[in-house]
Amino acid sequence: MASGHTPQRPLPDAKPTPRSREPRGTELGAPWDSRGPRPTVRAHECSSVVDGNFEEVPRETAIQFKPPLYRQRYQFVKNLVDQHEPKKVADLGCGDTSLLRLLKVNPCIELLVGVDINEDKLRWRGDSLAPFMGDFLKPRDLNLTIILYHGSVVERDSRLLGFDLITCIELIEHLDSGDLARFPEVVFGYLSPSMIVISTPNSEFNPLFPSVTLRDSDHKFEWTRMEFQTWALYVANRYDYSVEFTGVGEPPAGAENVGYCTQIGIFQKNGGRATEACVSEQHDQHVYKAVFTTSYPSLQQERFFKLVLVNEVSQQVESLRVSHLPRRKEQDGEQGDKPKDIGGSKAPVPCFGPVFTEVEKAKIENSPKPFCVGDKFFVPLQRLLAYPRLNRLCANEEMMRSVIADSIPLSSDGSAVVTDLCNYFDEQFEF
Amino acid sequence: MSGRARVKARGIARSPSATEVGRTQASPLPTSVDLSNNEASSSNGFLGTSRISTNDKYGISSGDAGSTSMERGVKNKQDFMDLSICTREKLAHVRDCKTGSSGIPVKLVTNLFNLDFPQDWQLYQYHVTYVPDLASRRLRIALLYSHSELSNKAKAFDGAILFLSQKLEEKITELSSETQRGETIKMTITLKRELPSSSPVCIQVFNIIFRKILKKLSMYQIGRNFYNPSEPVEIPQHKLSLWPGFAISVSYFESKLLFSADVSYKVLRNETVLEFMTALCRRTGLTCFTQTCEKQLIGLIVLTRYNNRTYSIDDIDWSVKPTHTFQKRDGTEITYVDYYKQQYDITVSDLNQPMLVSLLKRKRNDNSEARLAHLIPELCFLTGLTDQATSDFQLMKAVAEKTRLPPSGRQQRLARLVDNIQRNTNARFELETWGLHFGSQISLTGRVVPSEKILMQDHICQPVSAADWSKDVRTCKILNARSLNTWLILCSDRTEYVAESFLNCLRRVAGSMGFNVDYPKIIKVQENPAAFVRAVQQYVDPDVQLVMCILPSNQKTYYDSIKKYLSSDCPVPSQCVLARTLNKQGMMMSIATKIAMQMTCKLGGELWAVEIPLKSLMVVGIDVCKDALSKDVMVVGCVASVNPGITRWFSRCILQRTMTDVADCLKVFMTGALNKWYKYNHDLPARIIVYRAGVGDGQLKTLVDYEVPQLLSSVAESSSNTSSRLSVIVVRKKCMPRFFTEMNRTVQNPPIGTVVDSEATRNEWYDFYLISQVACRGTVSPTYYNVIYDDNGLKPDHMQRLTFKLCHLYYNWPGIVSVPAPCQYAHKLTFLVAQSIHKEPSLELANHLFYL
Repeated sequence: MASGHTPQRPLPDAKPTPRSREPRGTELGAPWDSRGPRPTVRAHECSSVVDGNFEEVPRETAIQFKPPLYRQRYQFVKNLVDQHEPKKVADLGCGDTSLLRLLKVNPCIELLVGVDINEDKLRWRGDSLAPFMGDFLKPRDLNLTIILYHGSVVERDSRLLGFDLITCIELIEHLDSGDLARFPEVVFGYLSPSMIVISTPNSEFNPLFPSVTLRDSDHKFEWTRMEFQTWALYVANRYDYSVEFTGVGEPPAGAENVGYCTQIGIFQKNGGRATEACVSEQHDQHVYKAVFTTSYPSLQQERFFKLVLVNEVSQQVESLRVSHLPRRKEQDGEQGDKPKDIGGSKAPVPCFGPVFTEVEKAKIENSPKPFCVGDKFFVPLQRLLAYPRLNRLCANEEMMRSVIADSIPLSSDGSAVVTDLCNYFDEQFEF
Repeated sequence: MSGRARVKARGIARSPSATEVGRTQASPLPTSVDLSNNEASSSNGFLGTSRISTNDKYGISSGDAGSTSMERGVKNKQDFMDLSICTREKLAHVRDCKTGSSGIPVKLVTNLFNLDFPQDWQLYQYHVTYVPDLASRRLRIALLYSHSELSNKAKAFDGAILFLSQKLEEKITELSSETQRGETIKMTITLKRELPSSSPVCIQVFNIIFRKILKKLSMYQIGRNFYNPSEPVEIPQHKLSLWPGFAISVSYFESKLLFSADVSYKVLRNETVLEFMTALCRRTGLTCFTQTCEKQLIGLIVLTRYNNRTYSIDDIDWSVKPTHTFQKRDGTEITYVDYYKQQYDITVSDLNQPMLVSLLKRKRNDNSEARLAHLIPELCFLTGLTDQATSDFQLMKAVAEKTRLPPSGRQQRLARLVDNIQRNTNARFELETWGLHFGSQISLTGRVVPSEKILMQDHICQPVSAADWSKDVRTCKILNARSLNTWLILCSDRTEYVAESFLNCLRRVAGSMGFNVDYPKIIKVQENPAAFVRAVQQYVDPDVQLVMCILPSNQKTYYDSIKKYLSSDCPVPSQCVLARTLNKQGMMMSIATKIAMQMTCKLGGELWAVEIPLKSLMVVGIDVCKDALSKDVMVVGCVASVNPGITRWFSRCILQRTMTDVADCLKVFMTGALNKWYKYNHDLPARIIVYRAGVGDGQLKTLVDYEVPQLLSSVAESSSNTSSRLSVIVVRKKCMPRFFTEMNRTVQNPPIGTVVDSEATRNEWYDFYLISQVACRGTVSPTYYNVIYDDNGLKPDHMQRLTFKLCHLYYNWPGIVSVPAPCQYAHKLTFLVAQSIHKEPSLELANHLFYL
């Protein structure tokens, strides 16, 4: 196994310590987004020394990024994912899986993989990637599998072949020279994903920090922009990628020439995506140990599709049924002592419910209408299909019928949903 | 369940245990979970039918699904606190043997499993300190776990206390680790204690281990239980998803450490708050929508779908919309819509919805100002069942049908769980590193006590089944009935006709049971609650013996306002009947019979008796529950028998502020009850047996330290010479063990009257299980009795049989019930007061079972 390259990912609740030169906030607020206000950087008097043993560096001027720099890096990746919509994404050196947690909400991703050399950390944080209860109640559209592997990025594992995006955030500076030499061969040459994102500290920025050599004790090196770009261009050229450079963490006013605090290279494979076919030709090579695997419920799975469809149909039928109920409350019963003006003091009268476009309205209007026979209420499936939320799930009547048939009572010819016109709850709302 | 459902239920022949469904669970969860009163507090999210085990008092209020088990240990500590109260050693007559011997032995299988470990097994408790100190628990754990000294060792660590199953070489181990930022942290691991396997701390650790193991089986921890989301049961017509799972625990039973598991279901709702609001709006119209909506939603717990947290709804802000902006913690302004899009990739579709407001819980030791969170209804799922849902017979039936498991189904689930634990490599590895081994399922021998005869006025009847003797006594006269001469019927125009035909029927059946019912005054009222109350106020005078109201709908206000007026303002027994119940074709006779019986009791009559071998015995039932409106008010119901035949009762309900006050009001009650007894019998009872229900985990000490002394002193003060002998028995309907019999090669429910007083009981207590109910379709749950004080010195055999006899005396049901009748009466009384009346009923009614 290759030597350690514990990637640096600050624990969100870790306090900044004087030896860690790269400032990071303790704040857990929402990540910044490029569409939001510009991130800021400001110098401030640092008086919060965690423990009393650093009297030798009193009142130093530190740079503080807002949002914290690590969040800016994650947000950068997230924006990239939004833009390119990759299906398979791997984060090498995923550490405590913060980036994976941020990416898992993205609807386009179907396979999300994290690789790290620290197995305990993967095990320990793995649980937080499991689906929430809400994910079972409102499943995603597409499948999502999340796998955490224990292993080193300089070893080849065929399970990481054929990816659309591989990210190496603050990773390479933890590699010693031997590993750094092997890194391009594995990631660019062997794994060869469509896109690779590599971020690393920009050492030109370091003089802005107080008395700095390296930002982290595990860093084997920190590169200038020139050093990083030279390496990146060489690698890109050798493995047929094109590369663009950017970064996060803008320098403070007056020091613009040092460039971003974190420099980033975005590598895109020339000639487009790796095809699935060429992936399967490769020999299976399983070096990594899968530490954690989870799959999310989705509409692609029959069980959850049925659950969602049946639920939506029931709700639509219920809402149509209620609007068909004869309104009793105005007609009979004594009205004298009923306080009519309750809620009147409350200012705005709410109005909800789905808002339909004119086209959708017309479509609903033109579909067969619900009807009553005796105390039974019928809603034609064609009518249900006219509603956008159901139409999105289900293309035709036949499909809807076959999925809901054993959960919802249908009319004898199967063309409509049947329910009792009145039920227990109706009485609860008589006033 | 509210009053209206109860009214409805009267006409439907189903076992009383079925009407229990969701009873204590009905009221919404209190915002802050009060650990000390969990029995009385309710588990909203959790479905507590008598067939579904509920150890979960939390529902899903504990949303921090990611937190480690140690935090949840708080709850377990409550149980351990109970176990340290050794009441048996003070009871000389059962110190050596607390088992009975009468009855027919029956072989029983349990849901308990042996846990085997080496004889010399020990747990080592260490304390870990960090220099410099670290505030983050996560960081503390990460640093310690990454140390090679500790890897591959079985360990449990909460950030300060470390448990190991193997001793470290040194008493004090110094380790140092470097954080990722290069800071050197010194960790000192100091051995504090070596604990034998019998120590309560060990049991706590065993529970933590098993929680870990169940998590490794991909189960979700909600509250204290574990659920499997991959095999949900769906009830689409009610928008419910049920997750199957288990309530598990490890504890010491008679002499062995046992693992117990019981099947349970988690109820999740497939309904967002927005969907709920939209549906509500459509029903109510706009005029009173906001008010109704607030009434329905405030106080409920919601689950947010994007971060798996639970919040309570404290208010609804109708003026804020998703398009409005809010200030993030970093000071920037963002709209809610943009925030959810950016943060969670969620598109808010309804831009007109109002916002839910939740007061965020403050962390401990945090004195800062409470913060408010605005939540978008569209992104919040409702949790738990509302009062409305639990009172919906159809819904509860649907849930019961899906969740009710016959003994064989339960046994299969258990077998599968055990199999999974043993097959899953991770789970097995965890067990093995701790030196534990999963053993066999426990089977034991119970005894079936003889069945009871029912004494009617001129007939002694041996029922075919103790579950329901209504057919056996149909032609018999009841023990004692007072003639009903002056009474009223209130009904609306629409229901006048059914009221008349019902009245005819009622008078006929009442006559045949020996209850004379004269023709009442019939008053027609308009169909609204206020009109009913006005009519009651106008027509009820001191001569009126009983008021019957034929209610046009099961709206709670009818029932509540009538009951409130007639229980305290103007104390007259009342009988509410739903018009719909009387419309049921072909059931009129049985409905009339049931109502006639209730009316007899409300007038102070007696229906039947069982043979009580002890002369001069008073039995007392006590139950406690929380008021539905003001959650900090405890409703204490006490019911005592006032004749040797145990057919007449003195009932009183007292409202209290705290649990310790309960003891004080017991004294007030006991003095009153003993005075009554003296008045009727011209002597004091030789023996008093108190059945105390409504006891939560961890409350046993309060009972022993406060309630028992108060009861004793009230008994002592009532007489100058010889005072009555007292026994106090804690009654619990919820308990972990389940028992099955093997019959014809399938597992079945044990017969009525099965007593278990060995192996599944606790060594430090004088306790037993009694099965005094039938479950036609599900698995029967035994009732657990713990005798915490006993001057009477009855043999265990006699104590068990007496308890069994008392289960036959509940007059609202012609059959056996799951707890002794005085407890069931006390429960019924507290329920009426907590749900409908909200104040102490008049003492003038104390001699009648007015609350049936």
